Amino acid sequence: MIKRLVGLVLVLALVAAACGGGDDEETSLLDTIRERGELNCGVNDAVPGFGYVEADGTFSGFDVQYCRAVAAAVLGDATAVKFVPLTAAQRFTSLQSGEIDVLIRNTTATASRDGTEGATFLTTTFYDGQGMMVRTGEFESIDDMANTTVCVLTGTTTELNLASRFAGIPYTALTFESNDPLREAFVSGQCDGWTSDKSQLAAVKGGVEESGVAVTILDETFSKEPLGPVVADGDSTWAQVVNWVVMATIQAEEWGITSGNIGGLTDEASVQAAIDSGMLSGPTATAPNIVKFLGIDQTDPGLGLDPDFVVDVIGQVGNYGELYEANVAPLGLERGQNDLWFKGGLLYSWPYR
Amino acid sequence: MTAETRAAVRPPWWRNLRVLRAVAQIAAVLGALAVFVFLLLTVRTNLEAKGISTSFDFLTQPAGFTVAGSGLERTEPIWKFIIFGGAKNTLLSIALGLPLTTLLGLIVGVGRLSRNFLVRQAATIYVETLRNIPPLLVILFTFLALLLPLPTIQNATTVADLIVVSNREIAFPSLANQENAAIFWLLVLVALAAAATVWIWRSRLFDRTGRPHHRVLWSLATFAAIAAAAWFALGEPVVISKPVVDERVITGGFKMLASYVTVTLALTVYTASHVAEIIRGSILAVPKGQTEASFAVGLTNFQRYRFVVLPQAARIAIPPMINQYLNFTKNTSLALAVGYAEVTFVIVTVIGNANPAPQSIAILMVVYLVFSLTISAISNAVNRRLQLASKR
Amino acid sequence: MSDPIDLMPPLPPEAEEAPWRPSKLTPREWARENLFSNWWNSLLTVLFGVGFVYLGYRTLRFVFVSADWEIVRINLTNFMLGRFPREEIWRVWVSAYVLIAAVGLTVGAYHQTAVERAAEAGLPHATPSVSDRLKRFWPAILLIAVLLALSETITPLLIVLGAFAVGIAARFAGPLLPASIRRWSWAILLVGIVAWLQILNAAGGVGWNDWGGLHLTLFMTVAGIVLAFPIGLLAALARRSTLPALRILSVTYIEFIRGVPLITLLLMGQFMLRFFVPEGFPVPSDVTRALIAITLFEGAYVAEVVRGGLQAVPRGQSEAAYAVGLPTPKVMRFIVLPQALRAVIPAMVGQFISLFKDTSLLYIIGVLEMLSVSEAANAQPIFQGRGLSSVTLPLVGLIYWVGSYTMSKESRRIERKLGVGER
Repeated sequence: MIKRLVGLVLVLALVAAACGGGDDEETSLLDTIRERGELNCGVNDAVPGFGYVEADGTFSGFDVQYCRAVAAAVLGDATAVKFVPLTAAQRFTSLQSGEIDVLIRNTTATASRDGTEGATFLTTTFYDGQGMMVRTGEFESIDDMANTTVCVLTGTTTELNLASRFAGIPYTALTFESNDPLREAFVSGQCDGWTSDKSQLAAVKGGVEESGVAVTILDETFSKEPLGPVVADGDSTWAQVVNWVVMATIQAEEWGITSGNIGGLTDEASVQAAIDSGMLSGPTATAPNIVKFLGIDQTDPGLGLDPDFVVDVIGQVGNYGELYEANVAPLGLERGQNDLWFKGGLLYSWPYR
Repeated sequence: MTAETRAAVRPPWWRNLRVLRAVAQIAAVLGALAVFVFLLLTVRTNLEAKGISTSFDFLTQPAGFTVAGSGLERTEPIWKFIIFGGAKNTLLSIALGLPLTTLLGLIVGVGRLSRNFLVRQAATIYVETLRNIPPLLVILFTFLALLLPLPTIQNATTVADLIVVSNREIAFPSLANQENAAIFWLLVLVALAAAATVWIWRSRLFDRTGRPHHRVLWSLATFAAIAAAAWFALGEPVVISKPVVDERVITGGFKMLASYVTVTLALTVYTASHVAEIIRGSILAVPKGQTEASFAVGLTNFQRYRFVVLPQAARIAIPPMINQYLNFTKNTSLALAVGYAEVTFVIVTVIGNANPAPQSIAILMVVYLVFSLTISAISNAVNRRLQLASKR
Repeated sequence: MSDPIDLMPPLPPEAEEAPWRPSKLTPREWARENLFSNWWNSLLTVLFGVGFVYLGYRTLRFVFVSADWEIVRINLTNFMLGRFPREEIWRVWVSAYVLIAAVGLTVGAYHQTAVERAAEAGLPHATPSVSDRLKRFWPAILLIAVLLALSETITPLLIVLGAFAVGIAARFAGPLLPASIRRWSWAILLVGIVAWLQILNAAGGVGWNDWGGLHLTLFMTVAGIVLAFPIGLLAALARRSTLPALRILSVTYIEFIRGVPLITLLLMGQFMLRFFVPEGFPVPSDVTRALIAITLFEGAYVAEVVRGGLQAVPRGQSEAAYAVGLPTPKVMRFIVLPQALRAVIPAMVGQFISLFKDTSLLYIIGVLEMLSVSEAANAQPIFQGRGLSSVTLPLVGLIYWVGSYTMSKESRRIERKLGVGER
């Protein structure tokens, strides 16, 4: 009995120790994903508009669609994605450990995160900012809110921004792990203000007003929250791939290429015809540029993707405008900063030459 | 048996039980040690590979915010103090919750044995409902239920001009220290010592002469006399500070956050349902002859419980109740669902702010081990005092 | 002198068949005794009566009038199965049927064996009637009825009826098995469980990382206890061992685990387990990590339960076994453990119920069990911000309550049958 116990322990220790060694060659995540045939994407499962679960169990949302776009580019199939919902506390450790390949989960790019979290932030997909929601008429601005209680979600930049904005103004922060009890606390009057990214406040505003509480989102935006995909440090090939997928969606909208009309853009002639008819337009919208962008002439920019990955991305998922309209616009948010650069916004794709 | 005979009959080492026992133990210890060391080394290697620190330096880094309700808001917000604040919050919850749980459990447990049908049914429904749902759900339900009926801070009601009730904070009157307060509290300690002495004196008097001791009255009188004299002599060193609502702030008094009240109340109600079952079982385990004899002697119900049944039931009930106290302590970790900043919630925040996880979780476990072992030790000491000479 | 017995009149013949019972109280007498015996009782009756009526009214009003059950209706599959891919749902039903059949066969076989043994010994063996069973399981039946009422199509009703049919058929087929196979009924159960797992996993199936909702809760509970049992048994034996090293190791493990809350172990699993895995090994998934943490946790508690059972076996049993010359492993296997394990069954069921409730903690680490589904449902575009957690949480609470209440009632029934605690 005892002997068996001892023997078992020793054998386990030996086996575990023996399996400890073994170095792999330097491979990029890109190859690993291609071998696996599936992209592991870290997302949110309870954030309206960006990452949530439909009644039939599938994931939906702006960030979720970007996961599908990356999968379409790398694997040619937008459905080859395994969604891994993560809490705010888990997201960076999941990325570091390799459990997920890319994190697209309302994550704000900050210097400390870039530095200490072992993470690389990529092109911003959504320029957000932190705002404050109060009951209509109670406060005109944040400086009026001395001695108030403010509800906030924990483990995010929101808490820290709140503390720095309220420096010098006495306040109490009520932190919660999830939005459900937070909403109850706000509606019942436990907190005077609800602070979060403005996109989130816009999402919940409708529901709160339906319960009979009139609310206003104050104009002031007291932090910069550039949200974008995140990958682990040290794999520049993979980082480039994700980066250019995001750019592709922006560039497609700049030129007016949508999932609807991309099917008809098969060769130079059809592209030229589309430009002439005005379907495709915009700065630098010339036939050679668009042809190179779509990979019709098989030029390979050396990213490691197929030359026509853009066709897969736009065709199966859509361009930035389509994704915005489908997921974020229903929350009641204007394009604002999230519009193309020549329409007054901050979205600017690098050229595909 | 001579030494030679012993050597002749001693079995060879590979069949010698004493040798084998020693070898087995050494092997077991070495094996466990090997596994432990291997895991530790793997963790270190992995952490270093990912560039995560393996030290406890992060404790002195600034945090950027403070923990609500801990009373440590004025100190420097470094992680160490934030964790202290969390532990203090846990302790506050336990300190109020355990006595309340015992009291409520006692009432409901006795209620389950009541003669009145409705009281019996009410107690049974209470116990059977709450025992069978997870404590996390009880906390969430209490949060929802507590928020709705209580008024907002602008409409806070003041009960009897003493207690302010709102859904943000509940405030009680407290004692505020004026000048000479330190001396006063010292004299209060002296008064306590005097009262204890009087108690012992009266008990000894009773043992010697059999005269009624009235020791409670005597001790209280002594304490009150000395404390009152000190108070008047020092010119009102301590006053009652009543909580006053001023817009959104409650000044004065002793404030409890609504989340604290939620968690403590929810866990009290949940644990009391288990305690009620234990008490009911222990009362039923007291031999029926005791009850019959009390009826024969003419004791009232209350006297029967107070002098005959409960003392005997307590002996049986204490070990399982220790377990329930420990469960209460451990269940406070669920408070993070409603935003009460106890130590588990604080540690999750610490990790979420890019501090190394293994060290943080190690700290968390140490905190809970300290609480559990302390409560266990105290309860076991009480238990030993109550046990009969054991039949071991 | 005449025999004193003759002075007693003979008993009427009916007395032989009808044993004496105290006469039942009329309603008035009962009310006087139980509700209004003195002024204090009457006061309590009035207070509690009013309280009951008020609570009952509010509850019924909530359930039937004010609550909007739409969110539950639409998300019912999410609550039951989480994000299980909808095109593979047939696996759930097929595997459930196979498991129900295996359990039914085992129960039937075991019952038949018990009846035969009782008949051999000349003891009566009561079989509960259908109405008895209904009374025992009324909460579960109510819950199933409620869930079916909330479902949108008729398919769940057909599937549930089919499951009942399969279960009852298997239960009656069980006794028909020949005695030699009935001895191995535990093997039938084992095969059933393995088949259940395989049907869900095999050939492009769905690994347990993608399970969710009630399905995952039940799986974690059963798997947790089953995996923890060997660990707990070893730890309990080690704790009672005469070798101090083993004892110390075991005590350290048990007291450490019992001193910390489950949530700390789950957090450790979430954040630290990946660092315990050497390079080159795949990092276990969320659900696997949680399962490992739960197994470690339950192992310590099962150890304490088993230790209690081992202590309940009289020392004379093992002393006699040693006197007859059996070595320690055989003493354990044939004499001590069978008696010990029978004594711990009620406590084990209690531990099972405890674990069932504790799986709600998986919500905090982000595993998709029912509370997380409630949160996710509340974030859907049509429902978010409307505070419908006051509707979804009671439903989740009801599911937990039915499970725990039924299991604890069954445990008490088994306790009474086994005569545990009676002297």
